[in-house]
Amino acid sequence: MADITLIAAPVLGGFNHEFSNCTLAERSDIALISVAVPRDGDTALSTKLDTAWTLTMPTPSTTTQANGMRAIPLTADQFLLAFHPDTNRTEVSVQDDLAEVGYTTVQTDAWVILELSGEGATSALERICPLDLAPDAFPTGSAARTVMEHLGAMIVRVDNTRFWLMSARSSAMSFLHAVETSCRWTAS
Amino acid sequence: MIINHPLLGPRDATEFVYLGDASMIERPNGFGEDVADAMYEYVYLRDNPAGEHRELWYHEQGDRSWLVVTRNTLTHEITEVALARDVARSKGRSK
Repeated sequence: MADITLIAAPVLGGFNHEFSNCTLAERSDIALISVAVPRDGDTALSTKLDTAWTLTMPTPSTTTQANGMRAIPLTADQFLLAFHPDTNRTEVSVQDDLAEVGYTTVQTDAWVILELSGEGATSALERICPLDLAPDAFPTGSAARTVMEHLGAMIVRVDNTRFWLMSARSSAMSFLHAVETSCRWTAS
Repeated sequence: MIINHPLLGPRDATEFVYLGDASMIERPNGFGEDVADAMYEYVYLRDNPAGEHRELWYHEQGDRSWLVVTRNTLTHEITEVALARDVARSKGRSK
């Protein structure tokens, strides 16, 4: 039998490209865990988030972050926890932390995360993102689910000119193509 | 057409998918009396007035929530948008 060794690789091969006014890069260093709130379990879950990471529950349109943890709202009573996994904080340890207070699923391999940054990021997004991204309508820390080029996507404004664009990993190449095309056409 | 989502604010109607009349929330008890008549009425009979309708819309290109949208079919004016979950709960449903 052939001796096969499996090697972990990012879905877009660590794509990173600098355009004239923005940079588009795959983020493959982030672990994602979805957390669903049990019925009538809001208080227990938010207390646990607070004691474990001093993290507060996200609102339907705003992320929260503390101690390297970012909570991104998905829908009512459900959110994603995003963090850099290391020896002290792994997908398993975070699931263990929340075992009694929330329903968790590891989703790291279900998403692709593109980070779009730079002065031209907003113009690139205006071409494909149907949402109003004006700073007063979508300030830093905002998150929303929408559609870009027919693909379900989530957008998070992590900084004024820095966005995370998240979509299904199964269509990651198509998503990258759409965003990359937009960057190319709006690069001055 | 803009649907003012109760949690997310105004979103374009193209993000939503229409399912049908909001009376679908009130599914009759499948083990109750007169279940055949009740199910017949539930599945097939609808009022179809020219004017105000209460409809189920699904935010497919958003947070995947179900909404009850009150819409006037003559003017397309939307007068009320509520989470279907809240509407169901207000009718004494458990979820």
